[in-house]
Amino acid sequence: MAVRTRSYDAAADVEALLDARLVGVGTWLFLGAQLFFFAAWWFAFFYLRALNNNQSWRAEGVGPPSRGYGAIVLVLALLTAVTYFVSSRQLTRAFLFRLLTPVALIFAIATCLFQGYEMWHLGFGLTQGGYPSVFSGMTTAWLLQFVGTTAWLASIVTQTGPAGDTIARRQPAASFAWVLLFLAAIGVVNYILLYLVA
Amino acid sequence: MVVSERRLAVPNNPITGILLAIPGYFAGVWLGTLFGLNDDQNTGVILGYLFATVAFLAGVGFLNYPLERLFGWQVIPITDPAENQGIGRFFRLSLDHKVIGIQYLVTILLMLLLGGIGAMLIRTSLLVPDSTITPPGNYISLIGLHAVMMIFITSAVIVGPFGNYLVPLMIGARRMAFPRLEALSFWVVPPAAVILVASTFWGGFPTGWTGYPPLSEQAGQGMNSYIVGFALIAVALVTSGVNMLATIIGLRAPGMTWTRLPMFVWGIFTTSILGLLAAPVLAAALLMLAMDRTVNTTFFVASNGGSNYLWENLFWFFGHPEVYIFILPAFGIIMEIVPHFARKPLWGYRTGVVGLFGVALLSWFVWQHHLFVSGIAPVLRPFYMLSTELISIPTGIIFLVTLGTLWRARVWFTVPMLFCLGFLFNFLIGGISGVYLSDVPTDVTLHGSYFSMAHFHYTIMGGEIFALMAAAYYWLPKMTGKMLSPMLGRIHFWWMFIAFNSTFFPLFIVGLLNMPRRVSSYNPALIGLNRWATISAYFLFGSMVLFAANLIYSWFFVSRPALANPWHARSLEWQVPTPVPPRNFDRVPVIVAGPYDYGLPNARPVADLGGIVGATGGG
Repeated sequence: MAVRTRSYDAAADVEALLDARLVGVGTWLFLGAQLFFFAAWWFAFFYLRALNNNQSWRAEGVGPPSRGYGAIVLVLALLTAVTYFVSSRQLTRAFLFRLLTPVALIFAIATCLFQGYEMWHLGFGLTQGGYPSVFSGMTTAWLLQFVGTTAWLASIVTQTGPAGDTIARRQPAASFAWVLLFLAAIGVVNYILLYLVA
Repeated sequence: MVVSERRLAVPNNPITGILLAIPGYFAGVWLGTLFGLNDDQNTGVILGYLFATVAFLAGVGFLNYPLERLFGWQVIPITDPAENQGIGRFFRLSLDHKVIGIQYLVTILLMLLLGGIGAMLIRTSLLVPDSTITPPGNYISLIGLHAVMMIFITSAVIVGPFGNYLVPLMIGARRMAFPRLEALSFWVVPPAAVILVASTFWGGFPTGWTGYPPLSEQAGQGMNSYIVGFALIAVALVTSGVNMLATIIGLRAPGMTWTRLPMFVWGIFTTSILGLLAAPVLAAALLMLAMDRTVNTTFFVASNGGSNYLWENLFWFFGHPEVYIFILPAFGIIMEIVPHFARKPLWGYRTGVVGLFGVALLSWFVWQHHLFVSGIAPVLRPFYMLSTELISIPTGIIFLVTLGTLWRARVWFTVPMLFCLGFLFNFLIGGISGVYLSDVPTDVTLHGSYFSMAHFHYTIMGGEIFALMAAAYYWLPKMTGKMLSPMLGRIHFWWMFIAFNSTFFPLFIVGLLNMPRRVSSYNPALIGLNRWATISAYFLFGSMVLFAANLIYSWFFVSRPALANPWHARSLEWQVPTPVPPRNFDRVPVIVAGPYDYGLPNARPVADLGGIVGATGGG
């Protein structure tokens, strides 16, 4: 069998392509794991809501926090994801990327702050039944992930210099957009469940 | 944005990690005490464990990469394995999959010793039918510690050492896809083990490995060790799963098509899917339990809108695939090793792969058989009984593939082959007793008895641990460069095989005679069988000591260097020199034939090792 050989320069290109492929595959695998993580919370929501043990899914006077405020958090999360997604498609045009990514980071930080504020002002106690438990747990799980994602986004911003990792390895930065979009989509599902269906 | 070339100046090694972990723990306890809602200090202990773990990982060097990124410093590239030499590489953060494999091996063997000592203490308690040797409270804590430690070990005992070391070699890759994730999957295991053992200082935890509420909500602070320790193992399963799957999908050498993939790699592939998807569900359940214990949510408190069934469902949605996480790599090992020593092609390669995927798929649809006696809706029982019985079909297929390979073969009875045959015998008993237990009336009668305990020990110890031993005798020469003594190996096999069956088969009988699990006292009429099992268990422990002695004897006293291919095997890992070069292959090999073409006329060598220059090796 004929053996193909390549020069070392060509091999470097192969490495870059390989890196891109691996990060792409790894991202989707990670999102698969994330989906199962959040599915466990959705199961808890429907299970406890259906059981309504001791009529305590939602005790008297317990209701969702302000839907409007929740919508603001959700919109901020969506803006983060969409802005970064658009930005990540401009990686070959470094100027647009450097302009839009910090904007996405500002949206992300705002999302964390607004969601954190809501968590401190829920309007119900955590001991007041199944719904408060699920709300606080599901939202905390989402917020923790979003904070971690925001930190990574910040590192992408700090690495946008000419010798930075973001520009040197474009595909990982592009794949990261899917993580943000995924978390935003989870936020949409959570909002529907916790604010509208509950 | 300017990217500078600064570096973090902290020396990174486990000692730094331990030195940081101690203040980390106390900082967590202090914070938890300051802001915790309760005065039972659960918040403080959980935060303490988490802070200590993060501090340990920081000390080992895991925060360097994210912090350097965040500060805008130049990111350190992945270290070239060639620069990573000497004995010290085993004691620090290494991104070489071979080093990580050895790190895993040593750690897991030490943990196995701890779990084994726990088993000996349990059996010693059962020498007498009352609770005079071990009081009931201590006994149940001992059971919990032994069980969780063994679950930790058996989750990683094959994937950790052998998966990490061998998968890149077997698929023709020079590295793993995500070396940092791979290293993380290892370095969270020691903190998990330490945290679990630390539960003894808090009086242990009374729930066994299943952690059922309301007991787990009412338990003392030892329960926090269970929560954090198990959560760390969930992290290990997810990171390992992402890394293994991406490696197998993306780093196969040219010509390594899916139908040429070694069966061991298929075993790792299927088990990684299960770990990747099941562990997050456990993580979510553990977070709920932690919140119930710290911030007073009521996920599992029935009087306040929660339900303990929520835990049971989530736990077993993870827990049943978990047992296949144990056994799928073992199936892979058996189907990998048997053709090499039968000197015949694997009989039904594709069928075997279908069997592995069949087990993996069905394992998602059986979890409620663990709830047959917990009060699930009776209408659900037939479905779960049927789905559990169905899983015996792909398992049977795997057996048929192995037996078909052995059929009319001139078997080379090496030590690894003996352990493979021992696996087949033991797992057959474990599997068939599992079919009995899947039947609702039988399960209602025997659930919670020693029958089910004997069943899963036959599958896990008789199955996975025998496969582990087969793998150890087969691949350790490649991994360590030293052959193990075959004479001691044969003695080890027969000693372990007889002692294992002598220990656990009587437990089927005491189970049928209604001796309950997790209880330190029993009917005095069963004292004879229990003493027999205990003395056999001592012998079983002795067989493991013999294995350890063989390792020490063969490595340090009678050093027999291993040849590159002592078994004359076809598969790719045996085509590289021993010890394995830092980058595995000088050139990425081009695979031209399958690994099991033994005895075929005109069979081609498995690979052209003159392959492609430079590239890491994509598929």
